[in-house]
Amino acid sequence: MVEIRDLTVARDGRRLLSDVELIVQSGSVHLLVGPNGAGKSTLFAAVLGLIEFTGTIRYRWRRSGRIGYVPQSFSVDRTLPLTVGEFLALSRQRWPVCLGIGQAVRARVREILVQVGLPDFFSRPLGSLSGGELQRALLANAIDPLPELLLLDEPASGLDEIAVRQFEETIAALRQSGGTSVLMVSHDLGQVRRIADRVTLLDQVVRRTGAPTQVLTGDLADSLAGGSGRVS
Amino acid sequence: MTAFYEWVASLAARGTLPEIFQYAFFVRGLLSVLLLAPLLGGMSHLVVARRLSFFSAALGQAALTGLSIGIVLGEPLNAAYGGIFGFCFLAALTMVYVKRHASLPSDTLVGVFLSMSLGLGICLLVVVTKRFNIHQVEAVMFGSLLTVTDADLALLLGIGVAVAVILALAYNYLLLDSLDTSLGRVSGVWSAFVDYLFVMLLTAAIVVSLKVIGALLVEAMVVVPAAAARNLARTTRSYLALSILTALLAGIGGLFVSSRLLVPSGGAVVLAMSALFFVTLALAGVRSVLGRTPATDGGG
Repeated sequence: MVEIRDLTVARDGRRLLSDVELIVQSGSVHLLVGPNGAGKSTLFAAVLGLIEFTGTIRYRWRRSGRIGYVPQSFSVDRTLPLTVGEFLALSRQRWPVCLGIGQAVRARVREILVQVGLPDFFSRPLGSLSGGELQRALLANAIDPLPELLLLDEPASGLDEIAVRQFEETIAALRQSGGTSVLMVSHDLGQVRRIADRVTLLDQVVRRTGAPTQVLTGDLADSLAGGSGRVS
Repeated sequence: MTAFYEWVASLAARGTLPEIFQYAFFVRGLLSVLLLAPLLGGMSHLVVARRLSFFSAALGQAALTGLSIGIVLGEPLNAAYGGIFGFCFLAALTMVYVKRHASLPSDTLVGVFLSMSLGLGICLLVVVTKRFNIHQVEAVMFGSLLTVTDADLALLLGIGVAVAVILALAYNYLLLDSLDTSLGRVSGVWSAFVDYLFVMLLTAAIVVSLKVIGALLVEAMVVVPAAAARNLARTTRSYLALSILTALLAGIGGLFVSSRLLVPSGGAVVLAMSALFFVTLALAGVRSVLGRTPATDGGG
């Protein structure tokens, strides 16, 4: 479980997040929605310990305490000589990847690539992947070893409809495993209804939080679509 | 080492090795290149991945300033390591600290440090040239085989091995952090630590290579091998191998050219490396043309 209390993030005198309260229950899928600039990625950065903040973030781990993460943007130089297999091996072996990948890691990486629907991508240059393929490679990186907390920052953007369903099946499987809590940013309200246990509407402060049916009322969809950035 | 140089010279006298091997300074220079080329060439792809090319240029300039400081403080011109190491480490750590805490783009900050360091170095050079012939200072700026001593070789070997071992242990973390800080963070990589660690390793490797390559040209040694390798490499493994191969070929080739034409070794090595870059660029072009089929053209 992750418990966020009074979280405030300020930069250059401007508040990006203000007194945010959020609890991600163990084994639940918790979605964050909100307009652009609402502070969703900032919240993730705080949870990851990448930025300074005031308030508290408490983790109540039951197992490894591992955090998996899929960033919103991951730009790879198209000419970078790094294969998908090498990229995934970077955090799975101590031996320098530039000197080769061990047999066990190689087998493990192939397995997780199959899991995310990229079975033949081991030797493909990372820079040659399309946006959707790259998202899936990042998801593969995030879900193995099984994380206790999975942070997904708009992971379905750039995915086609089949890939979105495949992704949602992966999330469902993680939920069934029981040990992984998912905190995810999404702009797809249909997706929120399909997979979320709880939803939080964030716009620098927490506007609403609760079950999808409580939060996703008619005016919310209009507000998000209209880009007004304000939902009462 | 004297016995070794005599043995090599005897091989040269018998015609087993080229004539130039009769000279101990050339053998020392060659040994230096055989040590520094894999070291700097191997580091070059991480320098490029971490976007430290301009930073490396600034370190070269800082080395020149460090040399001037060392001499002003009484160190010998041929071994002013105290001044060079001291000033380069200070400049490198300060640059990283400011980069991590300021909101300006890193190349702008490095530009400020480079100018400051160069300004200080030039002012101090006035003092240095009162005590030494300008040609002796040129050797440090452009590299010279004549100035390499056995002590320099021992230092290069010791620091080279230490840097290589630490790099091997930290390699995956360094590359992951270079790709994305947040991805590195969730894998347990402390970005600030690897940032400082890598620039310290780079600084050490650059300083011990200055005698052969020269302060003004050492940047090329940590950028061009990776650039040349990138034209052909498809995997990180081949990227590393081709970077080292480029640095070694250019180092050895440049050394022979330098001794034949009596030009500074640094200049000759960098020219050879640049030539290899264009060769790999041409090869990449040929490969692209040969591999272009209707199916791959439309790939996406």
